[in-house]
Formats: sequence, structure tokens, C-alpha cells
Amino acid sequence: MKAKASSSWARLRVLLRPPRTLKVTRTGRTYLVVTFGVGLGALNTGNNLLYLVLGLLLSMVVVSGVLSERCLRHLSVRRLGTESAFAGEPFAYRWAITRKQGHAFALTLAEVDTPLTGEGRVGYLRSGVEHVVRADLTTPQRGPLRLSGVRVTTTWPLGLFAKTRVFELEGILLVYPRRGYACHVPTEALQGAFGDSSTPRRNDGTGDVAGLRELGPTEDARRVHWRKSAAMGKLIKVEREREERRTYQLSVDAGLEDAALERRCEEVAALSHQLLEAGHEVGLETPTERLRPASGHVQERNILRALAWVGFEELREERQKEEAA
Amino acid sequence: MSAPSRLRLALRDLGAGAAFGSMVVSGQLPVWTVAAFALSLVFALLGWRVFAKRAKATAVLLLGMAGLLGFSVYVGQLDLVVAACSFAGLIAGHRMLSTPEARTDGQVQLAGLLMVAGGAALSGELIFAVFLVAFCVFASLSMGLAVVEAAVPEGEPLPVRSVVRPLSVGLLFAVSGAVAFFILFPRLNWNVAARRASPGLGATTGLSDTVRLGGAGTLKSNPRVVLRAHITPDPGVDQLGSYWVARTYDTFDGQEWTSVGGPKRSRQRVTLRPGGESSLHQRIELLPAYGARTLVALETPTRMGNAVAHTASGNRRTSLMELGGGEVRFVDAGLGYSYEATSLPPEEDASTKMTEAELGQLLALPDRLDPRVAELARTVLDGEKEPLAAARKLSSWLQREYAYTLELQGDVEDPLADFLFVRKAGHCEHFATALTLMLRTQGFSARLASGFFGGERSDEDYILRAGDAHAWTHVLVPDRGFVTVDATPPGNRASQSMAALQLLTGLYETLESHWRSAVVDFSLRDQMDVAQRFIRPPRDSGRSSTRLPPARVWGVALLAGLVTYGTWRFLAARLSAPRPHTATRLVDTVERMLREAGVRPHEGETLEDLTARLVREHHSLAEPLAPVTRRYLEARFGQRPLEAGEAERLLTPLRRYLEARRAPAPSSGAGSQRSAS
Repeated sequence: MKAKASSSWARLRVLLRPPRTLKVTRTGRTYLVVTFGVGLGALNTGNNLLYLVLGLLLSMVVVSGVLSERCLRHLSVRRLGTESAFAGEPFAYRWAITRKQGHAFALTLAEVDTPLTGEGRVGYLRSGVEHVVRADLTTPQRGPLRLSGVRVTTTWPLGLFAKTRVFELEGILLVYPRRGYACHVPTEALQGAFGDSSTPRRNDGTGDVAGLRELGPTEDARRVHWRKSAAMGKLIKVEREREERRTYQLSVDAGLEDAALERRCEEVAALSHQLLEAGHEVGLETPTERLRPASGHVQERNILRALAWVGFEELREERQKEEAA
Repeated sequence: MSAPSRLRLALRDLGAGAAFGSMVVSGQLPVWTVAAFALSLVFALLGWRVFAKRAKATAVLLLGMAGLLGFSVYVGQLDLVVAACSFAGLIAGHRMLSTPEARTDGQVQLAGLLMVAGGAALSGELIFAVFLVAFCVFASLSMGLAVVEAAVPEGEPLPVRSVVRPLSVGLLFAVSGAVAFFILFPRLNWNVAARRASPGLGATTGLSDTVRLGGAGTLKSNPRVVLRAHITPDPGVDQLGSYWVARTYDTFDGQEWTSVGGPKRSRQRVTLRPGGESSLHQRIELLPAYGARTLVALETPTRMGNAVAHTASGNRRTSLMELGGGEVRFVDAGLGYSYEATSLPPEEDASTKMTEAELGQLLALPDRLDPRVAELARTVLDGEKEPLAAARKLSSWLQREYAYTLELQGDVEDPLADFLFVRKAGHCEHFATALTLMLRTQGFSARLASGFFGGERSDEDYILRAGDAHAWTHVLVPDRGFVTVDATPPGNRASQSMAALQLLTGLYETLESHWRSAVVDFSLRDQMDVAQRFIRPPRDSGRSSTRLPPARVWGVALLAGLVTYGTWRFLAARLSAPRPHTATRLVDTVERMLREAGVRPHEGETLEDLTARLVREHHSLAEPLAPVTRRYLEARFGQRPLEAGEAERLLTPLRRYLEARRAPAPSSGAGSQRSAS
């Protein structure tokens, strides 16, 4: 319900947004104050040269507006996104910006109407060349972030005003839970105790000796049995059974909300990272999703993605419907 | 700091320099502030940010300077606006020498803006406009580069050329907009805090209340035009050998001349003496370079009036006040003045009435006059009794026996004796003083007059330069009144500056005259005239309003339009033509060099094929050509563009090969053979 309301509000904001917005910079404020002062001085004294200076200052304001407007025309923006975004830490984010004709200067790109902080900058954009703009963005919250558009701002030419144009560009940024530390590894594993089980089918572990054979040309020399090698006159390798890792099933219980839910998600993310790094298999169970235990970085990515959606199931369904349509 | 940043800082500092210059041209800033800023500017341009690590200590120094300026204002030595302008300059100088960062940049630019506004308040000079434009250009470029620099990732070059082009166009539009605003914005004037603008650098200090002997005479070389007069009837000569009198002096104390008589009440019109039928009418404009309030007119002025003072806030009528010595002054202060005067031809001043005291003063001698002066006069006159003949005799003798010089250093105790008996050289004031006092020692009434001598034709008017300032003697002749006798050698009476300098100054004065009439004196009435001209264009009485220009005008206009269009199309095509790839340019050069080496590719043979062929044939060119070809392929198709200067490096072995080929084979090596096939 909450997600629906915020989505409607975002759409309304998009509808009501003016095509260009203008903000006076700090330098611009000073400039305007000086212009006002010169104007007062000109009226007060009738000094023609002050009128000339005033005219020049006002003309520069107009020219500044025209040049900045020219900068924001003929642009097209594409969102390239990010590999992975974790809440509370900067992540690399990219947009691709192109200008059909003419040049643009001093562009700043940012996502509009989101809690994302940070922006990317382009000093000089040639016409007809796609320029990839990189930014280090940060967001405080986990979960799917609905993106409505990209804000392109320029302070060109004099830095007096920041003129902004928003490119409406729908999208979702999935923010993974904040990365933290796992306090302790769960003791209950689905399969075997640590170091107890082994399989004779795989002989690349550190378990019992399975046999001896000649060292291959590209094999690790640390496994060489030096005494046997000296006796036989060639390099002999010791083969040991591989110890199987343990399998864990982590879960996010239903009924958790707000801070408790966030804490649990962060804890599960940290645990899964730690266990997967150690080579174990990890599965995940959330109120709406179940991931079978597996190992490796792909599984970690799957777990993080599932954790990011926890609490935002409605939005996920909506998105799935949109994609299906 | 990277090179582009240095460029930006240099532009910023030059902008501040231009802004400060716009104030300096007024000539009102204290010399020490000008010197301090100039030093700061030089240091800043050299990149010596000497205050970068001493922000607090130097801020105290700045406070001290502010205190000094404040004290100068308090004791009345300095105007408050001038002090504020000077302080803005000092702040700008301080910031320029501090650590360059966004904040200091902003402060320098802000101080620049304030200084330009200050310059507008202080001066009406044409040079102000030059400095204003320079400030706009430098400051805008600097700000534009700063904006782009902030967005360019570190290590990447700043696209200076790309930035400058649109900014320049923008600046042109801004200047046009400023002109439009200037013309169209109603010239309102609350007139609450108007202040007098200064005449600017190079202006004369004007005619002082006294003539003091002994100082160095540098005025003679000053070519600035101080006066423009339209004389009716027109004398019709190019060089006018006339005396323009400003005031006369009757009292000499041994060092300086003064006049008896106090000021009279101010009036719109002053009548000095009865006029005559042969009066010369003058419409005189005293330009700002004149820098004084004393009216000047041809000898012998009878009436002056209809005076208008030109101020920064417009023109207004001003009253005149008569002082002792026949001096007439403007009551109101102004940048320049215009007025009318009538004068009698010289030697028709018999009707001037003088009091007994004034007559007596014409024979007064200083208390400690060197007795040798009277003795010398007696010797030269040799019993001459007629005043005019005596004056002319003495004048001729002085011109013959004494030299003219402007090289006088410092004051001496008795300047007249020093001139007559020691140095035997001096300028016009020495000659005039000597003649006047020598006449008085012999009982002839005489007085000293100051003003200008000469007049140079300029269109229908006559102009006088600061260097035309002059002093001469009036001898009182019974039944004729005062007669002018000039003891200064004739060649040294008028301005003595270089002809080229006078030409340049004349050009500048013409431009400034247009500047003053079109900008400084632009008023609400002018605006209304412009508006009326737009609404109702002036009709030429000789032509019908429906008559069109002749056919040849249309033809010329059409031709001009076609030429402009053609030029534009040509330039547009040239400028918008796609530029060849850098690697392609490299191939062009390589192919040219191969042709020079006598290697011709076969039909359809690419550079790669050609290189392979040369390698197969063991051609000596294959060795230097192979790396070039390899790198070309990488650059053209492998997305590894050539770096700056890399093409030159790659081509060097090929060039060496060609040079070796061109060089004549040594005789000893006649039998040696090249491996080239």
C-alpha cells in the first residue's frame, strides 16, 4: 500500500515538473546583489557609465541563460546502471550521454527524486560521441529503488545559475543490504560436521592420502612427496581426498518489519558472504522466496538480490507484471 | 597545478587588473595603492602566491592598510568613494596572492566587479570603456574555464579552444545587449548621491590661483586637448596666433604672482568691459582635460555667459563669479563646461576702468627685489620713455639674450635674479615676470597675464592643448589701455610635444569626444530623440518620402549580400567538413614519403600489402615502414588512437631514410651499394 502511494506521488511529481528548472548558485547570488547595487547606484546618481555597467551585467545574465539552454538541448541520456549497489556505501554508477549537434559543457548528471546521493560530471561533451559518465552514488536504504529520470544540470557559462533538464527514464535500482560483519557462524548445518565427511571421488582436498602419482607438467609442486620422488627419480605427487563443505540454510522470518527486518537482512547478507567465501553451500528462505543451497559468487548474488526484495514483494509483482505485459 | 589552470588564473588576474585600471584612469587613487596592486598583479601573473601560507598575517596587513585609508578619509585627504575603491583594489590584490581555490576566485571576481563599478563612478574617460571590455573578456573567460575545469575529471585536459569560442560569441551578444539596454532603459536619476567624476589621467591641474616661478615646466609637452572653440567670424587660418586669457596678476612677492580684488556676486552673465562693433564671438567648450573652473577667452574678453556644466548626471546651467585679476569662474563643479564669450581685438582696451588701488598695484615691486634688475632694465632701455616701445625693446633684448628651457629643478630663493643673472634660461613665466618687473622698475605700469597661446584648426573649430598654456605681459599704454607684449621667444610659446604624439592625442580626443557625446552625456532627451526617430524617421525636405534609393544602391546591396552569403557558405562548408582521422593523416604523410623514396604501390595495394611486399623483397625501407604500418592499423581499426606527437616519432626513421637517400654518396664509398631494390 505504502509502495503504491509513493509510486503515485512520484508519477504526480513527474507530471508537475517544469521542463527546465533554474537555481541561483552562490556566486550567482553575489552577482545579483552586485547588479542590484550597481542599478541602485545608476538610478541614484544618473551616472551613464553605471548604466552601461548595469546593462552589461544584465546582458550577461541573459546570455548566461541562453548559453546554458543551448547546452541542454539535443541531448539524449541512457542509463547504464551499476554492477551492484550496497546500501550505505558508494557504488559506481554510469550513464551514457550523447549530443546530436553542437557541444555541451560542465554537465552534471544525477538520478532525480531518489534518495541517491552523488553525481557524475562531464566537462566537455562533443557532438555525436557517446560519453560514459561515472559517478559514485550512495543510498542509505536497502531495496528496490524506483528511478524516474536523470537530471542533467549545467552551470555553464559563468557558474551563476544552475539550469536543469530532467530526462524521464523509468527504471529500478536494486540496492543490496548494507554490508556488515557476521557475529557468529550458525552451528546447525544441514549436512555433516566440519571435516567429518569426505568423498573418494575427488582427490584434490586435504583429507586422507588417496594415492601417489607422477606430477603433471602444470600441477602444483607443493603436493610433491619429496622422499618418494628422490627414491624413484621423478616427481611424485600425493593425492588426498577432498573434504566436503557444510551446507547451511539461512532464513529471514516473516513478520519482521522496519529496523528489525533491515538488521536481519544485513545479518543474513554478511553470514552468507562469510560462509560462501569459506566454500560452504548456503541457501536462503524468505517469506516469499526460497533459494536452494549452493556455493560460489553467483549464489551470493542471488541471495543478495532476494534479500533486497524482502519487504517489497508488491513492487516486485507489479514489475513482473509490467515485464510480462 | 596544470597549465590550463594557470591560464585560467592568469585570465582571472588580468581581469582584476583591468578592473583596477578602470579606476586608475581617474587619477584619483593614492599612488601607494596603485603601486601595491601593480606589485600584486605582477607576482600573481608570475605565479608567486606569496600570501598562500600567511593568510592571517597578511589579513592584519590589509587591516592596517584599511586603517590608513580610513584615516586619510577622516583627515579629509581622501574622498570616501576613492578610499573604498582603493580598498577594493587592495582586497583583490590580497586574494590574487592567496591560495587559488573556488572561494578566492569568487572573491577576486567580486572585487573586480566592484572595482569596475567604482571606476564608472570615478571617471568618464574613454579608457574606462577599454578597461571595462577587457575586464568582461578576461573575467568571463576565467569564469567559463573555471566552470568547465570543475567538471573535467582530474588529469584530463581542459578544452580551452572549445570553451573560448562560444564564450566569445556570448560576450559579443552581451555587449550588444548592454548597448541596447543603455539606449533604451529610461535614464532615471534620483540624484541623491551624485558625485563629480574626475577628468582622468593626463589632465592638467588647470590654472592655479597663483603663478609660482621656479618649478619644472612639463606642461608644455602635454598634448591633451583642453579647449575647443568656435569663433565667429571665422579667422580662416590653420594656426591661430592668438592669446587666450584666463586671468591677470598684478602683485609679485618675489616668488609668486597674485591679484588684488575679491570675488563679486555670482551671475549668469559677466560683463568685464564695454564691447565694440568688431567683437569676436566664441562658443567655447572646456574639455574635462582642462580640469579647472576658470573661463578662458580670446584677448580682450568683454562678456561671458550662457555657461553649462557637464556632469556625470547630465548638463545644467551654471552661474559665473568674477574674481580679482579679471578672472571669471564657474560656480558649479563639472567635468567639462561650455559657454559663450565675446572679445575685443587686441589693443582696444582703453575703456577698462580701474581703481586707484589697482593702478597703483601695477607699479608695485617686491620688497627684496634684487637692485641689479632695475639697473639692468635702465641699461637696456637706455632712456626710453614710451611704455610700449620700452616693453618691446626689453622683450627683444630678453628674447635675444636669454634661452628658453623647461629644465628647471626645484625652487630657488630669488627665481627672477636666478633667471636674469645665473641661469639665463627659463620658460614663459620667467620671461613674462622679468619683462613685467623690469618695466615696473622704470615706472611703466604692467601686469602678468596667463592663459593659452595659439589655436590649431580642427574642422570648423580651433583646439588648444595643455601644452599651449602660456604667460605674457600686459603693458598699460595711455589712451590705448593694456597692450600685450610677449617676451618669450616666439618658437616656444605654443605646445612643444612631438607631432606624432599630437596626432595620436588628437585621434584619441576625437574618439573621446564621440564617447562623451554618445555615452557619458547621453540623457533622457537623447533617448526620446532616438525613440522619435524610430517612430517617425526624419524626412528629407529635398525629397519625397516615397522616393526609393537609386538602382545602383540596390545593386550594390544585392552584390554585398551575395558576397556575404557566398563567404558564409564557403566558411560553413570549410568549418563543418568532417576532419580526417588522425591515422588517415599519418597514412597520407607516409604515402607522400614513399612517393619521394620512389616506391609506388600497385593498384589496389593497401599500406599493409605494400609493407608485406617490401618485407618479402628485403627492401631497405621495409624496416622503418613496418612499425609505422603496424601502429597505423592499431590506431585506425584497433581502437588505440595515436597519442600526441606519436605520429612524428613514428615517421622519424622514415625521414632519416629519405635524408640519407638524398645525401650525395661519399667518394670513398662509391662502390657501396644500397640494398634497396
